[in-house]
Amino acid sequence: MTPKRRMLRLFALFGFLLVLCPVAPAQSLRMPPHEKFVLKNGLTVLLMEKRGVPLINVFALVKTGAAADPAGQEGLASITAGLLRKGTKSRSAQQFSADFDYIGGSFGADAGADFTNIGAEFLTKDLARGLELFSDAVLHPTFPRNETDKILAQSLDGVKSAKDEPQAVLGLYYGGYLYGSHPYGRPSDGDELSLRRIQRDGVVKFYEANYAPGNTILGIAGEFDAAEMRKKLEETMGVWTARAVANTSISAVPPAKGKRLLLVDKPDATQTYFTIGNIGTAVNDPDRVAIRVVNTIFGGRFTSELNEALRVESGYTYGARSFFDSRKAPGPFEIVSFTKNETTTPAIDLALQVLEKLHKNGVTAEQLASAKSYIKGQFPPTIETSSQLVRRIVVDEYYGLGDDEVNQLEARVDAVTPAIAKQVIDKHFPLDNLVFVLIGKASAIEPAVKKYADKIDQRRISDPGFWPPLAGSQK
Amino acid sequence: MKAIWYRSSALLLLCLLGISALPAWAQSQEFPVSTRTLKNGMKVLVQPDHSIPNVALYIFYRIGSRNEHPGTTGLSHFFEHMMFNGAKKYGPGDLDKVMEANGGSNNAYTTQNVTVYQDWFPRSALSLIYDIEADRIRDLTFDPKKIASEREVVASERRLSVDNNNFGLLDEQLWASAFIAHTYQWPVVGWMSDIEHWTMDDLKHHFEMGYSPSNATMVVVGDISPDEIFQLCEKFIEPIPSHAPPPPVTTIEPEQLGERRLVVHKPVELPIVMIGYHIAQTNDPDFYALNILRSVLFQGESSRMYQRLVDKDQLALDVSSDVEPAFDPTLAIITAQPRQSVDPQACEKAIYEELDKVKGAPISDQELEKAKNGRLVEFYREMRTISGRANTVGTYEVFMGDYNKLFDAAKNYSAVTKEDVQRVVKKYFGANNRTVATLLPESEEKAKP
Repeated sequence: MTPKRRMLRLFALFGFLLVLCPVAPAQSLRMPPHEKFVLKNGLTVLLMEKRGVPLINVFALVKTGAAADPAGQEGLASITAGLLRKGTKSRSAQQFSADFDYIGGSFGADAGADFTNIGAEFLTKDLARGLELFSDAVLHPTFPRNETDKILAQSLDGVKSAKDEPQAVLGLYYGGYLYGSHPYGRPSDGDELSLRRIQRDGVVKFYEANYAPGNTILGIAGEFDAAEMRKKLEETMGVWTARAVANTSISAVPPAKGKRLLLVDKPDATQTYFTIGNIGTAVNDPDRVAIRVVNTIFGGRFTSELNEALRVESGYTYGARSFFDSRKAPGPFEIVSFTKNETTTPAIDLALQVLEKLHKNGVTAEQLASAKSYIKGQFPPTIETSSQLVRRIVVDEYYGLGDDEVNQLEARVDAVTPAIAKQVIDKHFPLDNLVFVLIGKASAIEPAVKKYADKIDQRRISDPGFWPPLAGSQK
Repeated sequence: MKAIWYRSSALLLLCLLGISALPAWAQSQEFPVSTRTLKNGMKVLVQPDHSIPNVALYIFYRIGSRNEHPGTTGLSHFFEHMMFNGAKKYGPGDLDKVMEANGGSNNAYTTQNVTVYQDWFPRSALSLIYDIEADRIRDLTFDPKKIASEREVVASERRLSVDNNNFGLLDEQLWASAFIAHTYQWPVVGWMSDIEHWTMDDLKHHFEMGYSPSNATMVVVGDISPDEIFQLCEKFIEPIPSHAPPPPVTTIEPEQLGERRLVVHKPVELPIVMIGYHIAQTNDPDFYALNILRSVLFQGESSRMYQRLVDKDQLALDVSSDVEPAFDPTLAIITAQPRQSVDPQACEKAIYEELDKVKGAPISDQELEKAKNGRLVEFYREMRTISGRANTVGTYEVFMGDYNKLFDAAKNYSAVTKEDVQRVVKKYFGANNRTVATLLPESEEKAKP
């Protein structure tokens, strides 16, 4: 159901666990063994045999994502991914769905900022069929005109539907307002303006320019025999023709200076939804484990400072949290919460006080010990299933991270001291330079929230797009 | 999904899987469950799994909003929040702090039927978790200051999931109209005015009514052995005295004799249509045929409703169905979001036509097979995590009356015939048995004369 999907997206942002500093290996937690090889056409393959339930998970990562959408055509990478299953050389969209559904399998494709991901799941007994269907969609999509028109119109209505629910779009406004014309400011699923500009020709060009074996990492995890799988892959994904792909790079953006605030008016809102933050960190930041430890204390769990203050002690909200959405280039850092119209400024004031307190007091030894236990104790269920593991090995491969992200996690977490935490707070958690985005009833909250920034911007939620006002004005 | 309310939203991912779908687990020998009933009446189910060094511990209390009364609606859910706000040994705030400092986390959810407490932790925290659980079952305390602030938290939760969520809002109105007698008519989170007015005495009474150990089932899955769990239960849980369970809910919803319709107006971009049909409770033999029917109609992009409404006629952005586990006859809800400028009644008409097609001619062999395959994969998906298994075992035990029904599910699904599917669609999905709720953009309504 639609709202369920949005909730998943919203809460799926706790980010990756990423580590670097070399310390003695921890014994208790190991990445299960897996093998890596490259097919003749340049496709990188990762295989992990995992017994338990007779399921297989396939996850392909194309190293081009929404950040490569041409300005003004935001959503192109997502539309391209969405169309993979909507018609191939040998199957109509309807036939593809009928075949995949018949084996009880699932198939999905989407684009995030840094990469496109294509995933499938099916029973081990249906391996041959599942793999054939998967490669059919990846290698032989035809992008039928009627299906392209349909998905564009549906996506347009999808944006409207999302705007009916402030929680579903808060991050999109924040991304746009924080990053401006930088590619990370683009809504990955497009907006009411950009989706009208995308044409079938552009989709075909995007596919041809970016979908190639040399630009793709394929992972498979689950109950299978690796030698047999390798043979099957050569027959299916191995016939994908190699072709040159232009390298995509993404520039880093320095954190925003000063304070600015975007107020998005939703006249019927009885609650204000807010994000406060700045540019955060890249996925391979050497401080990533220490950042995770500190953020666990600050806003990354139920007893975090933020949730304690805004929920447990004051009752202002059902939840308050913070996270680093780390990407190839520095991604956003966000403090997120919501509160009824009347307590909008008390809640935001309190969130800012908690942030100031973090900078002033750092973290205690007791808090550090607790956060370390928490991270270590909660980590194993995140590498429990083949669907989790396949995504992790492929994404880590893409970002140039190895198994030590898992194998060294405990040691690296344990190595964080109060002094290191203090350095991380100073370096990575914003204080004086802050970007605010609020969705709420402007007539009720506007006068009070002006105090947070010198620069105030306003728009109505019904205005097309997220930010800037006209996607066409982007260079 | 609207009928499930969580204590904390960040953990939602772990709990979303459709407990309404209980498909086939063929190899029972791979799935040994040990059981014991404690002297105080609490039943304990244990399933060891050493694939990760963690444990999922779920406690199901057979109490939910169906046990409430007008004036104190939402009390079960509010009480669920209060179970984290202080007992004798672990005072206000201590439970979460101690649990997280030892690597554990928790959540809880409340439905119309049950209140479920969930702990996820490394096995090193095992005996601590039992100390915490025993403390709050035995000696919960009620701090007036905590009640005041938690009341605000729940009000915020209601604003998030109902007042500022159109699907939640319409769902609430639908139940309130579809049930005129039975207690499923009010929202699990409670009406806002009830949230503002319940008292400390209401809470104490609720604790006495619903939280007898004999009214609970504990499920433990993970890096443990049955013996160590039973020993911990003997030490921590068994000494807690039992008392009378909640009085039975005796009201039976009278048969609905004609279509009911309701409209909600809001300033929204897109309308929503929800259609609720009264169906049997979870332990009814029709459960399996109903699930197969829902698969044929709604599961995957090749399903009949998706093909018709989303793909071919392009009337809706999405169409889905939802059924929650229930002790009493409940609702199957069909939800569709009409596309921009599509009349919601066009969606309705297409849905009725698709239902009529199944009534008129049996589904194909291929569709039946597809539905069964889909249920099987869905089941494995739930069973591959320790938390998914704890939830599924508990749900079978509580709603089907016996976790062993889990091992019959494969048999029961394969026994479903095309004729069974046709029989249940005729039995439940008629015009007189439905309630139709529509959310309309305000401007449209204002434009009417």
